[in-house]
Amino acid sequence: MSTLRLPAVLLAVVFALAFTACGDDDDGGGGGGGGGGGATADAEQVGAANPTGDVTWCIGKDTSGAFNTVVDNFNEANPEANVELLELPTSADDQRRLQIQRLRAESPQCDVLGMDVIWTAEYAAQGWLLDMTEAVEQQGDAFIPSTLETAKYEDKYWAFPFNTNAGFIYWRTDQAGDQPPDTWEAVYQQGRQDDGFIYQGARYEGLTVNFLELLYSAGGNVVNEDGSEATADSEEVRNVLEFMRKGVDDGAVPKAVTTYMEEESRRAFESGRATFMRNWPYAYALGKESEIADDFEVTTFPSYQGNPGAGVLGGYNLAISAYSENPEGSRAFIEFATEPEQQVIQATEASLPAVVSDVYDNPRVIREAPFARELRDAVEQAKPRPVSPVYPQISEAIYNNVYAALQGDKSPDQAAQDMNDDIQQALETF
Amino acid sequence: MEAATARLGRRRSGGRRYGSGERRLALGMLAPSMIVIALVAAYPIGYAIWLSLNEYSVRVPGLSRFAGFDNYSEAFASTEFWQAVTVTFMFTVISVGLELLVGLGMALAMHEAFRGRGILRTVVLVPWAVLTVVSAITWRTIFEPNLGLAPQVLSTLGLPGADVVWLGEEGYSLAVMVLADVWKTAPFMALLLLAGLQVISDDVYDAAKVDGANTWQRFRRITLPLLAPAILVALIFRTLDALRIFDLPYVLTRGSNNTTTLSLLAHQELTSNRLIGYGSALSVLTFVIVMAVSFLYIRTVGGNIRSLTEDTR
Repeated sequence: MSTLRLPAVLLAVVFALAFTACGDDDDGGGGGGGGGGGATADAEQVGAANPTGDVTWCIGKDTSGAFNTVVDNFNEANPEANVELLELPTSADDQRRLQIQRLRAESPQCDVLGMDVIWTAEYAAQGWLLDMTEAVEQQGDAFIPSTLETAKYEDKYWAFPFNTNAGFIYWRTDQAGDQPPDTWEAVYQQGRQDDGFIYQGARYEGLTVNFLELLYSAGGNVVNEDGSEATADSEEVRNVLEFMRKGVDDGAVPKAVTTYMEEESRRAFESGRATFMRNWPYAYALGKESEIADDFEVTTFPSYQGNPGAGVLGGYNLAISAYSENPEGSRAFIEFATEPEQQVIQATEASLPAVVSDVYDNPRVIREAPFARELRDAVEQAKPRPVSPVYPQISEAIYNNVYAALQGDKSPDQAAQDMNDDIQQALETF
Repeated sequence: MEAATARLGRRRSGGRRYGSGERRLALGMLAPSMIVIALVAAYPIGYAIWLSLNEYSVRVPGLSRFAGFDNYSEAFASTEFWQAVTVTFMFTVISVGLELLVGLGMALAMHEAFRGRGILRTVVLVPWAVLTVVSAITWRTIFEPNLGLAPQVLSTLGLPGADVVWLGEEGYSLAVMVLADVWKTAPFMALLLLAGLQVISDDVYDAAKVDGANTWQRFRRITLPLLAPAILVALIFRTLDALRIFDLPYVLTRGSNNTTTLSLLAHQELTSNRLIGYGSALSVLTFVIVMAVSFLYIRTVGGNIRSLTEDTR
């Protein structure tokens, strides 16, 4: 009685605390494929003429209400079908986690998947999506060509583009004049003279995007055409890393960017602490309500080393789950949601940039987003991030090494070499 | 107490006669909780271990292969893993150490009788009640370069550190992490220690005063030894928690500037990179490390607690 069996009690506590560390929210990756081929044939046979049945659309939270509007419009136009919206969390990481959880369990719950463009290859490789090549080829002309590239993996189309995105240079008209700089070099140089250029330099996906925008402008890439070999140990990569590093060293870029994500950069720009900012179009409307509302404009990426500027595509694609019990209805809904009329609603109500070119000339869209035509230019000149089932690892290899170069932990040469090795290793993942 | 022991003793001695029946009854009554423990704790752990011995393809649907201990040897061979181990232990030692000091101070203050003590005891727990993720986002905002509260206060007061990009420098990032953790969990530590303080009888202090012991002597010779069991329990709780730290580095730095902890690394490999085998191996290793540390505590410290409790008898 006097000894309170303390060790045993503590051990139990330890056990209870420790096992929660062993998060395994994935199952064994059980057989995913199989269903794909057969169901595709079904989807191809049935035209979208008269859709019936239930369809569940799983996409991120409908913060503006525009997703619900599209769903209502569809249900009204198709009385025999019923689409329901299943809202996933706001954060893209959580959306992906929840979708993958369902797909691994072969759950038929989600018929239509709203995927960040960078997940398309991964989902397609795992056999979680139906082949939509035939459907895309029927409708393909309507889309801005660059946006279709994000839906392509191994020469097949696995999704329809739903909305897109591309970065802008925001510049202060009261500091840098009425004309934006026409080269990246000038952005940095003028930034050094005035209050600097800021971008998303924290160690995360955003840094990958910021780096690739410069690299694409320089005419380089981190993987070869078919995504089988790393090509990061190149002159272009070294050059861009050197350029970014020098920006931090000589004060054109404040050291603080190494902690900036989108929101931090936006706040710093709005508080008047930078002459130039790279950000997504969402910062425009918010900026027009800030102190510097009348003192900034946006422009597409300038040229770099004599090459035309190029951006990186964001946005979401819509695909049909391989486990859907209603692929015909799903396809009908996807086609409906990407029609110009519905795209206008997305663009005006939710500020989601359309994937159909004509939408950018629509007066309602221009009233809502005065930069609409610049945005179309930006989207047209943008390219997808490396299309690969191991994209998350490729991106990690990029942002880790770019960050190390920015921080001065690695020389640009070393960072390029390590990036190449890490990407090559990622590409060889089992 | 005596009577209870006696009763127990009798029953134990009579156990032989009713043994099998009672034992069966005991087993039957224990079974439900054992089954629950097996389902909730043992199964996931066993499954994670199984996953860690396999490799699951990220490119071919449904393909997997048995990998033996390959995932483990890969972890041991990677600098990332050892860096994460170092960071995790550094964070644990520094933050738990500081929490003990701050928590002890708070507990001693709250133990004194004064007006509003009840309110203070409640208020002090507020940081503990705030979700770690929420407080991490708050700290991230506080240390935002130029615009955050911390750089502005530092520059107004003319103190060094105003121009430092806190979450963008090695060392400084870890410091913010430790600060955020101490702010949140020192009150918890204080509460555990306060409970320990309250069971120490006033008579002991009175006797010491009569013998002429000063405040320091009373603290050193009475409070600390009698508080030791509570301190050790609090240390164990906090150490095990700190070794698994995930939310703070995830929100504050995303693991940059050498703040990638073991849990963060495992999360990255498991959910982002979908390397289920390797990620599970990292989780299992985290588990093993936490287990090892707790065994160490129990071996060295558990015995001490027993002898301490016996000493005071």
